[in-house]
Amino acid sequence: MAKLKLALYWAGACGGCDVAVLDIHEKILDVAALADIVFWPIALDFKYHHVEAMQDKSIDVCLFNGMVRSSEQEHIAKLLRAKSKTMVSFGSCACFGGIPALANFTTRGEIMQRAYIEAPSNENPGKTLPQTRTKVAEGELELPELYESVFTLAQVVDVEYFVPGCPPTADLILKVVDALATNKLPPVGAVIAADKTLCDECPRKKNEKSISKIVRSHQIIPESERCLLEQGMICCGPATRGGCGALCIKVNMPCRGCFGPTAGVLDQGAKLVSSIASIYQANNDDEVARMVEEIVDPAGTFYRFGAADSILRTKQLQKH
Amino acid sequence: MMKKVTIDPITRLEGHGKIEIFLNDEGNVENAYLQIPELRGFEKFCEGRPVEEMPRIVPRICGV
Repeated sequence: MAKLKLALYWAGACGGCDVAVLDIHEKILDVAALADIVFWPIALDFKYHHVEAMQDKSIDVCLFNGMVRSSEQEHIAKLLRAKSKTMVSFGSCACFGGIPALANFTTRGEIMQRAYIEAPSNENPGKTLPQTRTKVAEGELELPELYESVFTLAQVVDVEYFVPGCPPTADLILKVVDALATNKLPPVGAVIAADKTLCDECPRKKNEKSISKIVRSHQIIPESERCLLEQGMICCGPATRGGCGALCIKVNMPCRGCFGPTAGVLDQGAKLVSSIASIYQANNDDEVARMVEEIVDPAGTFYRFGAADSILRTKQLQKH
Repeated sequence: MMKKVTIDPITRLEGHGKIEIFLNDEGNVENAYLQIPELRGFEKFCEGRPVEEMPRIVPRICGV
């Protein structure tokens, strides 16, 4: 069998997904035996013009990580889509917007103002902001346009498969490699992770299903065997897809939802609000108000990784 | 108009970058610009979030 042609790309991302691919350790040799890598900015020196010169559909699989928030990221997403037979939305940013989609609760203008003008580490007396075109003595410089909102990969191009996680675990990446090696690909649209929620695979004991106070992680040292939610910590397990191996739970930290919602759930955050509300013992308006008070950052907790993919999506849904 | 050499993207490092090199009539480098075509806005969207959650948000500035 001819070797597969594999591309990996990072759009609005931190590089953790790329490193996760290397975290499969010696199995990376299996990937090398299976595929020739034709584009991977973190590791290999291919340029955009190399990709542009490729024939359409000449890349077998593209693992695309990162969210889409600029004209460049959208252009590369569309370019790689055209060149690839199979497009994989790789990691929480590409799948749901990820941590960068927390920016959807603010605006491009507010971000620019903070990052380039107000931040205490800046020295910018002219209040210069990045421009898409800048005239310099030698000619003109161009920067991509930064969009008003963060988009998921599937919101800008068609995607065949989704591999969630911040970052995807080595086990899941190996699942993808195995599926490619044996040519046993799941149905289009499949999410390569568990089908059930994290609660379903969580090793902790669940008893009461009722809480009367929500606590923050610095306020208690949680018991290591008992459900974190029952101990009053907000845990996103009830509304989050499993398949991560309960990594955070095993180190006594509640889930923050990086695997996104399970199938059929329209909005992970709303599902989580519903889960918490159903177990919180509030019998009158004052107690309901207390619960609301105790949840200090609902948007950033319930939509930690999923703002771009939620019903809320963004403060202002527009590119320009 | 000077000749322009564009290196895009710069590779084998963490992050995104583009280099524009302008050549003069002799073909020598007149000037070069490094551009960072990305902004996510951690400076802004971390504001107002619980301090105890920061260790789970800011590692995503750079995961390499």
